[in-house]
Amino acid sequence: MAKQLLKLNFEFKAEQPMPIKESLHYGVVGSGDMEVIIEKKDLAGKAKFQVVTPVVGYDQVWEKVLGRFIDESNLGNISVEINDNNATPEVVSIRLRQALAELAAMKA
Amino acid sequence: MKTWVDLQTDSFLDANARQRAIGLVDEGSFTELAGPMDRLQSPHLPLLGEAVEFDDGIVTGVGLIAKRAVFIASQEGRFIGGAVGEVHGAKMVATLKLALDSYEKMKKDNPSLPDNRGPVAVISFETGGVRLHESNAGLLAHAEVVDQIQKCRGKVPVIAVIGSKVGCFGGMGFVAAQTDVSIMSPFGRLGLTGPEVIEQEMGKDEFDSSDRSLVYRTTGGKHKYILGDANYLVEDSIGSFRQKLSEVLSLSQDEINAHRRIGSLRLVENQLNKVRLSITLKPKDSKDVWKYAGNDNPESLVDLSTSDFLSVARRLKFMAANEEV
Repeated sequence: MAKQLLKLNFEFKAEQPMPIKESLHYGVVGSGDMEVIIEKKDLAGKAKFQVVTPVVGYDQVWEKVLGRFIDESNLGNISVEINDNNATPEVVSIRLRQALAELAAMKA
Repeated sequence: MKTWVDLQTDSFLDANARQRAIGLVDEGSFTELAGPMDRLQSPHLPLLGEAVEFDDGIVTGVGLIAKRAVFIASQEGRFIGGAVGEVHGAKMVATLKLALDSYEKMKKDNPSLPDNRGPVAVISFETGGVRLHESNAGLLAHAEVVDQIQKCRGKVPVIAVIGSKVGCFGGMGFVAAQTDVSIMSPFGRLGLTGPEVIEQEMGKDEFDSSDRSLVYRTTGGKHKYILGDANYLVEDSIGSFRQKLSEVLSLSQDEINAHRRIGSLRLVENQLNKVRLSITLKPKDSKDVWKYAGNDNPESLVDLSTSDFLSVARRLKFMAANEEV
């Protein structure tokens, strides 16, 4: 079967969803790295993720990493799109947290 | 979050494409066009199972330097080595086209527009050339960029800035050669066939791509400055590139034209004479050429700081018949 890019979709809901004020793009799709767009969207408090990645077989890891990000940040009503190029779960966590820090800096 | 002021002292080498675009123009003046939020991704890479990027590896937009419109295309080397695919190339072409269109409009509205007040175009190269996954579309994009540069001649100065990790190689080496002005840092590298490819094709005896010193003195900014392929050599900071850009922007169109390395019979004659020199001189190393250019102790140039280098380095003289520039 020909190689193809995977599109993975996830959905989470924080207990008390926090909105974001502005949309943001962060990161560069280098080797072992990723980029993310976080957009404000009315999703009844939910956080929706779409991950585009060439790596097969890591759906559950993505679910854990992204779920933890929402648990920690409590973000809601956001649509998140990730372009991944073989980033490790640690790198994914760091990039998402950096994106969050950028969002905080934008508000300031 | 990096502020514009931080970026000015930051290394140009380490900066990503967006930081370079923002830092090269006046504070807060950069507006990104066709940015990541527009999601203009490659349609070809997903079919091959390759990762995509929202901006297809190039940041395009417009900013101001001293109230003058500066259209910028800045390539991101970390995404597939800055390679030029269909969308990436189209964004570069469109940037040049926008600059030219706004020149035409300004000229129409104000026929007496001074020739150093119109828009300029800046390309921050970081690329190995064609993205092989999209070969034909990538090649066509190169041709279209060259076409736009030719259309810009005498109207919109096109300035190459080269000082990023990947350097500027492959087809984009040709493109950079056709710009009006080129600015490099010692860490900038410019050439056609990259070091790894030469080694792969010709063997380690011909070119050892793991020899960093050899790579830099053959393709790096200092060598290109001595040869005349780079008009200016600047320190490795975004602020230094910006400073040099603003100096270049104050020049008249005739002065800009005088910076060209190719594009007239006279300039081509100069280039051909340099090729002839390589046959008669038979250099074994760039240092042989540096010596020929009048640097009696070429070895000493290798480790000099940029400012010391600029104060002592002698450049290869212009080699068209009975003329010097």
